[in-house]
Amino acid sequence: MAPLTNALFGFLFVLFCYLIVTARTRRRVLVLTLTGLLVVTLVSPPPIQAQGGVLVAIQSVMNTINRVLGQALKAINSVRTAVSNIYQKVVWPVALINQARGMVTGMIGQYRSLMQNIFRLNLRSATLPNPVGLENFMRNHQTNDFASLTTMFGSTYGSVPNVTMSGALDRTMMDMDDALAMGNLKTLKMSDAAGDLTLQAADGIETAASQAAPGSAPFLTATAIVASIQSQALTQKMLAAELRQEAARLAHDNSLRKRGSAMTGDVSTQILNLLKRN
Amino acid sequence: MRMVIESVKRGLSWAWGHKVRSVVLLVVLFLTLPKQVRSQLDACCQVVATGLTSIGSTLNTVVGGGLNDILKVEQAISNFEQKIVWPEKLINEARALVANVEGLFKQIEGIMRTPVNSATLPATQQFEQILLSRDPNQILQMSGQYSAVYGALPAAAGLSPQMRDMTDMTDAAAQAAMKRAIQIDALADLELQAADQLHQNIQTAAPGSAPIIEAEADAWLVRANAYTQSATADLMRVRAIDLANASANVKNGASNAAAIQQQIYNLLKRQ
Repeated sequence: MAPLTNALFGFLFVLFCYLIVTARTRRRVLVLTLTGLLVVTLVSPPPIQAQGGVLVAIQSVMNTINRVLGQALKAINSVRTAVSNIYQKVVWPVALINQARGMVTGMIGQYRSLMQNIFRLNLRSATLPNPVGLENFMRNHQTNDFASLTTMFGSTYGSVPNVTMSGALDRTMMDMDDALAMGNLKTLKMSDAAGDLTLQAADGIETAASQAAPGSAPFLTATAIVASIQSQALTQKMLAAELRQEAARLAHDNSLRKRGSAMTGDVSTQILNLLKRN
Repeated sequence: MRMVIESVKRGLSWAWGHKVRSVVLLVVLFLTLPKQVRSQLDACCQVVATGLTSIGSTLNTVVGGGLNDILKVEQAISNFEQKIVWPEKLINEARALVANVEGLFKQIEGIMRTPVNSATLPATQQFEQILLSRDPNQILQMSGQYSAVYGALPAAAGLSPQMRDMTDMTDAAAQAAMKRAIQIDALADLELQAADQLHQNIQTAAPGSAPIIEAEADAWLVRANAYTQSATADLMRVRAIDLANASANVKNGASNAAAIQQQIYNLLKRQ
């Protein structure tokens, strides 16, 4: 656009010079001069008025920085400072975290050994050789000596009589009673061993709690709850064993009742037969 | 050269002869001469430069300073979170402890799988196998084996109706308790299996996801409590039936004593 404008101006300037040079009267020179001035006035661009606009724009940017950005940053800073204060003074105050750890350590010192000592008290009470042997195997928390337990049980309570010495029903019931009693004694040995390991797990969790951070404690609570589920499952297994035992005792009594009724029937029949003969 | 000097002389003499036109042409020439338009822009650039310097300074002090303050607070929060709240070392130690606890309970599970079968006769061995099977599918086969060991319900002719009811009720309670024992064993095995899964998941969890696993474990604990309660309920039922039997025996004794008394009285009357 600029070269075209320059060419137009050049053409007009040459035309103007030609007309001035060739003008015959002064009046024509004057008319040409005035016409030229009018054309220049009309065609020339207006003076630039942008200086004031730049200043206003700069001032506007400055105001934006000072008022909007500055105040926003101050607000963000105050919010983050408040959050930081809440974290450090209300949610996770270091002093209280250390106090909690100290409390756990204190409880370990106060109770752990005491409870272990109480739990390890010797409860054995038998006096004769066979019961002493059986009691030792019953209470030794071992699960690899079930055969010895069975032997000691036989020595203390006797074994099932042979066929010539006892009726089939009696032998069956004695064997079932013995089996359930021994089964439960074995289950209790297993429970004792499991109890030892459960206490070991509880000690481990407690020791870890004494050194935990707020962020690592959820792992400990989660594992403690899972351990509770496992512990509950073991309790259920013990309850199942007790149920079997109680049910067997009930069944035993009921079996005697059935046999008693059969025997009463037999006796009645025999008395009737005797009376008939007489 | 001479021609140029001649042309200049002629031009000057024309200009001397046409003074007004020459002045007009000179003025027009002066006015239309290209001017340095930069003068106006120079002033503008200076204003712009000053303005930009001022903006830069303001950005440095207001925005930069503000951001620096925020950065300091953020760094303090970050340090606090990394060193006090979620220290990676302690988190890894907690994960290691979870693995340790899992190992202990695996040992317990191994111990609890030790066979405790102790019966010696064929009928009792079969019955005991079902009782300790932990398999709910074997519950249906239990009644037959129970009768083989403890005897069947006597025929109507062999017992009074009252005694038959009592005997049947007692057998029912005993068998139900034994079935419940098989059921509870199976449920406990599943709980141990689920607990293993939970332990494995805790070891790979983040501090933010561990509470979710904890919630799941809580739900399992509540469920386990309910199963324990149901087993305890059956235990109470067995004991209640036992007590009821003891009471019924006393009642029967009283009734029998009255009947015998009546029979003796009748005998004496005849004599």
